[in-house]
Amino acid sequence: MRWSIRGLFPYLFLLFFFVALFLALRMGSLPPAEFTFANGTEIQTVDPAKSSGVPEGRIIDSIFEGLYRKLPDPHDPEQMIPLPALATSHDLSEDLKTYTFHIRQGVQWTNGDPVTSYDWTFSWLRFLHPESRSQYAYQLWYVKNAKKYTTVELAEGDKVEIELADRPDEAQMFPRGTMISGILKKIDKFEEKLTGKFNGEDVEPVMLTWLVYTVDCVPEKEGKPDWDGPLTQRVFYVKGTPSQFLKDFPDAEAAMHVLYHFSQVGIRALDSKTLEIELESPTPYFLELASFYPMHPVNRTCVEQYGYPNWTKPENIVTVGPYEIKERRIRDRIRLEKSPTYWDADNVHLKTIDALAVQSDTTQLNMYMSGQLDWATTVPNSALDELRLLDVKKHKNPERKDERDDLLMAPMLSTYFYRVNTTRPPLDNPKVRRALSLAINKQEIVDHVTRGGQIPAGSLVPPGVVGYDGPDAEVYNPEKAKELLAEAGFPDGKGMRPIEILYNTNEGHRSIAEVIQQQWKKTLHIEVKLRNVEWGVYLTMQRELDYDVCRAGWIGDYPDPNTFLDMFVSGGENNETGWSNKAYDKLIEEASTEPDPQKRFSILKDSEEILVEEMPILPVYFYVSVNMVRPYIKNFYPNLQDLHPMHVLEIDEALREDIRKWEDLE
Amino acid sequence: MIKFLLKRMLWMVLTMWVVFTISFFLMWTVSPEGALLSERQLPEAIKQNLERYYHLDQPLTYRYFIVLWEYLHLNPGPSMKLIDKSILEILREGLPISISLGVLGLSFALILGFASGIISALRRQTVIDVTFRSIATLGIAIPNFVLAGFAIIIFVFQLKLFPAAGWGRPIDLVLPSLCLAAPFAAYISRLTRTGMLEVLGQDYIRTAYAKGLMPTTVVLKHAFRGAILPVVSYLGPATAGILTGSLVLERIFFIPGMGSHFIEAVLQKDHPVSLAIVMVYTFLLFTMNTLVDLSYGLIDPRVKLDK
Amino acid sequence: MELTDKNDPYEAALPPIDKYREMYNEAKSIRGISLWQDAWRRLRRDWVSMTALSFLVLLALAAIFTPLFPLQSPREQDLANRVALPPEFVSTTKVTNKAGEPEVAPVSLNLVDLKDKEFERRVGELWTTLNPFDQLLLNVRLAIFGDWCVPSLCGTDLLGRDLLSRLFYGARVSLIVGLVATLVSLLIGVSYGAIAGYAGGLVDDLMMRIVDIMYSVPFIFLVLFVITILSEDEVKKQLEGYGISRIVILYILIGAVYWLTMARVVRGQIISLKNEQFVDAARTIGASGFRIVFMHLVPNVLSIVIVYLTLTIPAVMLFEAFLSFLGLGVEPPDVSWGMLSEEGTRVITPVKIYWWLVVFPALALASTLYSLNFLGDGLRDALDPRMKNR
Repeated sequence: MRWSIRGLFPYLFLLFFFVALFLALRMGSLPPAEFTFANGTEIQTVDPAKSSGVPEGRIIDSIFEGLYRKLPDPHDPEQMIPLPALATSHDLSEDLKTYTFHIRQGVQWTNGDPVTSYDWTFSWLRFLHPESRSQYAYQLWYVKNAKKYTTVELAEGDKVEIELADRPDEAQMFPRGTMISGILKKIDKFEEKLTGKFNGEDVEPVMLTWLVYTVDCVPEKEGKPDWDGPLTQRVFYVKGTPSQFLKDFPDAEAAMHVLYHFSQVGIRALDSKTLEIELESPTPYFLELASFYPMHPVNRTCVEQYGYPNWTKPENIVTVGPYEIKERRIRDRIRLEKSPTYWDADNVHLKTIDALAVQSDTTQLNMYMSGQLDWATTVPNSALDELRLLDVKKHKNPERKDERDDLLMAPMLSTYFYRVNTTRPPLDNPKVRRALSLAINKQEIVDHVTRGGQIPAGSLVPPGVVGYDGPDAEVYNPEKAKELLAEAGFPDGKGMRPIEILYNTNEGHRSIAEVIQQQWKKTLHIEVKLRNVEWGVYLTMQRELDYDVCRAGWIGDYPDPNTFLDMFVSGGENNETGWSNKAYDKLIEEASTEPDPQKRFSILKDSEEILVEEMPILPVYFYVSVNMVRPYIKNFYPNLQDLHPMHVLEIDEALREDIRKWEDLE
Repeated sequence: MIKFLLKRMLWMVLTMWVVFTISFFLMWTVSPEGALLSERQLPEAIKQNLERYYHLDQPLTYRYFIVLWEYLHLNPGPSMKLIDKSILEILREGLPISISLGVLGLSFALILGFASGIISALRRQTVIDVTFRSIATLGIAIPNFVLAGFAIIIFVFQLKLFPAAGWGRPIDLVLPSLCLAAPFAAYISRLTRTGMLEVLGQDYIRTAYAKGLMPTTVVLKHAFRGAILPVVSYLGPATAGILTGSLVLERIFFIPGMGSHFIEAVLQKDHPVSLAIVMVYTFLLFTMNTLVDLSYGLIDPRVKLDK
Repeated sequence: MELTDKNDPYEAALPPIDKYREMYNEAKSIRGISLWQDAWRRLRRDWVSMTALSFLVLLALAAIFTPLFPLQSPREQDLANRVALPPEFVSTTKVTNKAGEPEVAPVSLNLVDLKDKEFERRVGELWTTLNPFDQLLLNVRLAIFGDWCVPSLCGTDLLGRDLLSRLFYGARVSLIVGLVATLVSLLIGVSYGAIAGYAGGLVDDLMMRIVDIMYSVPFIFLVLFVITILSEDEVKKQLEGYGISRIVILYILIGAVYWLTMARVVRGQIISLKNEQFVDAARTIGASGFRIVFMHLVPNVLSIVIVYLTLTIPAVMLFEAFLSFLGLGVEPPDVSWGMLSEEGTRVITPVKIYWWLVVFPALALASTLYSLNFLGDGLRDALDPRMKNR
């Protein structure tokens, strides 16, 4: 045949095919891991200071470590308690406000640096620094003056630190520019009104505030500011201030930041192995916070050398936890490998772990059932009944009688509720809100929609916090609901405008909203509309009180009623209902300074009673954690916060072989 | 041909610029905050810093030029949601996967489509023909997520032939590629059948048979060449379809390709990433269409490129 | 034809007025066969296409007159008694009887005994809001069947709703999306193609080059963008201010994506037609370009347009399903087949398959698309001029 491009065509096609095959197979170079689990959505980052999510938490907890770490209580493995980790012990002062941590000796970062208390002064400064953009920064605001540092609320006379605009790389926070300390003398405020046109239409004017700081600067002595030294007056402006406002300040110097002085924040390294933390008020759950993953320290050398975000790359990152990141593929997997330098490496059993970014719960179940996963973190509701039956069937086999269930469910410190916009009539009437709450048949939802053995909720704080009993709230009472609605002026729902339920797109939320829609319609005879929006939009609408009733969920950050109740103080960041009650605010405030735990709980209970009476939220149910775990994974215990540290897990090889054989897995 | 390619290049630049401009203004005017929404409210100072990092404090038109400039340097900047990763990294990881899935799918579609189409045409109006045609129509008539659902039940859990999800090993590729290929195989099969029927009736085929050539030679060498034309012209639209199909299948089979990244980016309002992926897809589609036009001219000498 | 006088040589050349009359009468007696009649004749002989056509007509009627059928409510949930039941021929639920004891009773609407306000309330529970036409149909239904409902022949879903009824109401949404979106694409495609073809020259070049370029624009992705944008509250409210709902925009958008091929095909046809005599004739009597294109040319390309129509509707319906898969399709309480099949596939798990939840919606979708495809094929053959009189 004559040579021609046309003749070549089939061969070109074959070439294409093999190139594609090659590209596809190039991915498969990783050998399988010992333990594989589904981590939910793709993690945003492994930088502890910038993350805020359960999947991020699982990874960060494996590669970093805090002063303390929440581990199963050796006496009762289903309870998680903070146990010494990078700190070996702590002392607590008389007034319960000062913690002194003793850092473990001989612990090293993966790059060989010793772990010292300066790692915390650096990391927590970075964590609190406004430029860090930490979403969890408020969790450290229990520390004295920490809030002032993050929110830059400066007053004249405050000690301030000025970072001059001479950073080596302006986009990187570290290494910082020249630091100057001083006492703030005067702030000059300038307002600039920006008006503009977009597409020929006037855009709402934007007010910009520019500040010029006059500071009495002090010299430095031995690397520390000498507050009693001679004062020199200097003027600073934040870089970017338009020159028109600087006319009156010929000597003004450009600064990156003018912040509250960090030495005034209650985080101090007494020596390289002693860390002192001073709190605003007694905080009984501070150890929980000190073991919370956003507070884990990061390595200064690494951060300064590579800068953000490059320092988090697997080839650059320096860690201190039981595992190291070997590889990270977006929306695929994170490969963790046991770290040889971990202080407790002898007790870390799993050598390699794969964290898969599988979102869909059906896919998770598919992969679990076909043996591709050892641990599925969510399970589709529709399959729960069948999975329970499978476990029952399994136990009938005499050989497998004592095997642990695959499906593990346990109460969780988390509540599913609806927020009510209390600024919109008729929802501003507590009677209407209570009617709405009492008309929701929560038992029906729990039994037939969520099906996981969740507990119908009458109030906000889930059961399980040791020593705390919430108020006895009525869960469901259609007759009373009707009465209350009539009392509020809407007998039989007459005159009531349609209510809209807002929820973020998700099958589970939709089913629940549909059920509640029908229940309200049947009991109260009110029109209910549903509105589903994407996550981001949902958050904005919720924040801007642009809803009637809106689905919400809250997971306790620490096992204390406060993590739920302090949400609803007037103007609280996570209040988002417009609800405000003076007595409630006062009780929460009182509880935060009360040293006696029992009295504190009783104050919190009083506050929750107010909440139940006023019902700015409609509680639906208390969550249950649902995990599918292969029984050959040892040391996996269900617990309140659904925390499962991976370095304590162990594989029973013999059982694994047996199960693979019994269940005919690949 | 050089002139043709140059002209096409020019059009491509223009198309990409238009798509870029429209997408850019579309997303930023409607949701100006982008992905700067978080579960817990951000303190004002932190928010300002975030805005500065993503240039959100600048006027939109100014930002347009910044981003355009960045794109001209092939550096689309950081993602707003996967804050550790630059867009370039996301593309570098996702693109090879999606392209290989697409090409594999297309290859399966071509192989299955051609084979069943030829057999249908040769055995016209027999049981085989009717069966093939019915299956082909089924491929067109069922959404591919339903198809994938059935496939998982049958091949993964009943027959235990393939893994349920994942990407990397050869065996992982089969099920998603086949599900992706199904509708296109069906369409190609129909096109091939029609084309073959038309060609088989023509004189030169009869001549070839009369010369005493083997029937397989006649069919594969002579008739098939003529029947391939409509299929080639279908490859352009098919590429677009394959891109869409992979959106769905990547989700179902947990494949970390561009489709998953795009859907997530759109839903989470990670505008920089969605913009970049739209641009990549525009580029791919344009290239594919140009290739199709080019090969059309190569296969059929009667077609002139520069009209 | 019969000549009167064969001997007269001039007779044939200058026919008398009588002969005209005769020819006229004769012509009147012959019924000409138009393209459409011819096509219909041929289509009628093709049993596959006829089956498809009858199915589609029946489906359309069923969708229009859905409230007339004695179906259960598509919305009412029965969480306690009827969750995820497989298909059954007798549907029962537990109710409390007058004595206050639980009792097994057939599923019923419980509407007949109710009056005025209560009646309206119950109707609202069962169907949300009904337009006057549906209200009328419903009243007829109640008069004929009373409270009696067809049992759940297709099973019930995970909230205890009747799937059969949801399929029927879903047909309304799905068919309308398919039809309206296709009509939009038709409108754009035909006008665009016709104008380009008729204008010719530079205009044609430019317009078709634009179409070429549009083929390279990843529209699906832009549509996803726009739909997420449309779901935003402010935009939605603004649109509602103009009386446009989100779903209408959805139709228009989908339609706006699928017009390209239509434009190309129509343009080709118009170019081959525009130098025909009837166009010249129209031009000589002073018809405007607009009139020529839309009154004279477009009707002549209708056949090919109809064929494309039957092929675009399936594409559009699949696109709607695709959007539902991503959660961007119609919003509850509306249902569509795409949404139902998506709900069905999501509950496919290795431990339990609610097969009826995925098989029936898929079947509904597939049989409709099957029919449309076969009808399209049949129409193409029937309208093919080369097949004339065969």
